[in-house]
Amino acid sequence: MAAPTIERTGESEDSYESRQVAQLDGTNLIRVGARPGLFRYIREIWSFRHFLYYDSHSRVSTANSTDSLGRLWMILNPLLMGAAYFFVFGMLLNTGRGIDNFIGYLIIGVFTFRFFTTAVSGGAGSIAGNQKVVQAFNFPRACLVISSTVRELFSSVPMFFVMGLLVLTIGDIKLDGAESIPTTLSWHWLLFFPCIALALMVMLGWSLALARAVNAHTDVKHLISFGTRILFYTSAVFFSPDRWSNIGADWLVTVMNLNPLYCVLDIIRHAWLYDGFADPARWIVLASWAVGSMIIGFLIFWQGEESYGKER
Amino acid sequence: MSTSTPYVPRRMNRHSEADLIAQDLAIEFDDHDFSEDGSWEEYPLTQQNPVVRTVDPENVCLVVDDASMTYRVRSSNEYKHSQGRFTRAVKRVTGAGWTEVPALSNLSFIVNRGESVGVIGTNGSGKSTLIKLLTGKVRPTSGEVYASSTPVMLGVNAALVKDISGKENIRLGCLAMGLSPEQADAKYDQIVEISGLSDALDMPLKTYSSGMASRLQFAIATSVDPDILLIDEALNTGDAQFRARTKKRLDEVRAQAGCVFLVSHSLGTIKQMCTRVIWIEQGELLADGDPQWVCQQYEEYTAHKSNDRLRSAKVVYERTRLQLNPIQVDFTDGTRPKKAATSSIS
Repeated sequence: MAAPTIERTGESEDSYESRQVAQLDGTNLIRVGARPGLFRYIREIWSFRHFLYYDSHSRVSTANSTDSLGRLWMILNPLLMGAAYFFVFGMLLNTGRGIDNFIGYLIIGVFTFRFFTTAVSGGAGSIAGNQKVVQAFNFPRACLVISSTVRELFSSVPMFFVMGLLVLTIGDIKLDGAESIPTTLSWHWLLFFPCIALALMVMLGWSLALARAVNAHTDVKHLISFGTRILFYTSAVFFSPDRWSNIGADWLVTVMNLNPLYCVLDIIRHAWLYDGFADPARWIVLASWAVGSMIIGFLIFWQGEESYGKER
Repeated sequence: MSTSTPYVPRRMNRHSEADLIAQDLAIEFDDHDFSEDGSWEEYPLTQQNPVVRTVDPENVCLVVDDASMTYRVRSSNEYKHSQGRFTRAVKRVTGAGWTEVPALSNLSFIVNRGESVGVIGTNGSGKSTLIKLLTGKVRPTSGEVYASSTPVMLGVNAALVKDISGKENIRLGCLAMGLSPEQADAKYDQIVEISGLSDALDMPLKTYSSGMASRLQFAIATSVDPDILLIDEALNTGDAQFRARTKKRLDEVRAQAGCVFLVSHSLGTIKQMCTRVIWIEQGELLADGDPQWVCQQYEEYTAHKSNDRLRSAKVVYERTRLQLNPIQVDFTDGTRPKKAATSSIS
């Protein structure tokens, strides 16, 4: 756009024109684009639930549609990752020494970690990446973030099936230096569902907060991939936390115990591999993360509701 | 547009000369008492008390209160404007600075129910920015926009998702506008009919030509009947057959809307459809009134401009601006609206 070239000499106070003041009663008017109150906002999200569901559902089927193997990649990807980690960490670095059922341990770690981070980074970019939709329609913007998280859940269902199958079949292969505990289906496997539900809440809360940050400053995206790395190494994806206590770094163990993703992994591993309960502290930590990040993330996102249509 | 001769219209001349003289005098004779100077009489009475007019709140559809907009955009050339060598170097490395682009300055007007307002202006004058402010997608840098309900924009930018089929896009669009699934089903046939794309609906949207996509967008966007309607000029694209269908549907939507904004370059359409025209030039409100008169001035202005008669253009500009009665919005005590609208239309 060209900069204005005609300079205006008269400001409103000293112009020659006769000025009019229109006085009106604004009680029936609304401020266009204003952010609704918190409870109103939640109610509105509820009234847009069909949009939310349809948006997440319709996009699941088209993810990876440009690859010739299509949705198979949802399963192939973590499989190949798992194989690579097994080779590097399990065989070369031998981090699996002393871990019973290391293959199952690694599979659960890699698959779940992938689910967690793709959902969070997808949700974080869901406002900045959907500017066209944001510009065109008026709906509570949180719908986009929620729908992105729900979409990730939908598309991960086949992945979790494969994960379960793999753990059942090859999860208990005996490796050198560790015991093998046969994995069997039991009612403990059902613990997976409440655990993933809590994990979803954590993911959604983080996504909401990050979505606002990414929309305001695109630079945050780089930090997210960095944060993902940190999370990867503090979640015991491919090693046992005992490793840290063995070398005397107890503070790291504390950090890990407070890490929600580690709690998720630990709960699923205990339920699927070792046929039992994880430490109740894991549930407590995970549940408080879930509730806390949901509330805080939602508040952060709601506060920025008016800023999401802005272009860069 | 950037090379206009420094022409100062007469009525401003007088004003600025007076200012200059006053300044000079003030510097030279600091203790001179001006009140007895007598020179005041030579200048006409320039200040008037504002006329206060009460507006019937029942009738008001839309109030723009002193809204201005300055975009802050990232620009990789910004470092060249930096003075210091060091800041220049830093900005060069970080790749970008912020450039401020003024788009609209302090605009106020009130639109009543039943009015059709045409918005005209040369390219880059701020029409689209105004529309964006009106829909609430962007918040003005200063000032506010108030309305009786959230204005709905019919434009070619109605969002469509490239990877999913036309059918799914229709449903998604309907739901995003706040329709319930049943309402979306009910609207489906109508949308397909308006778009005229019944053969291509199962294909993903990326296989559509741009014309087809905008037809679909139009059909989705017009499936609701909003109270305050904003129509973008770019809508009259497409082939003749589609245009006829478009017009029919637009007329229907327009007929039931409380008030309509029409942004267009086609003065014929504006004169035909609007009861009032707003002319925005370089981010400022230049004229607001009778379509015939405003359009005539605008035609004259653009004719001068396109023939490089910048002075004449400026004369028209100033002449038009003289006729403008800027309005100032004043809410009676404590009634300045704060609340938000419900997003859903239905």
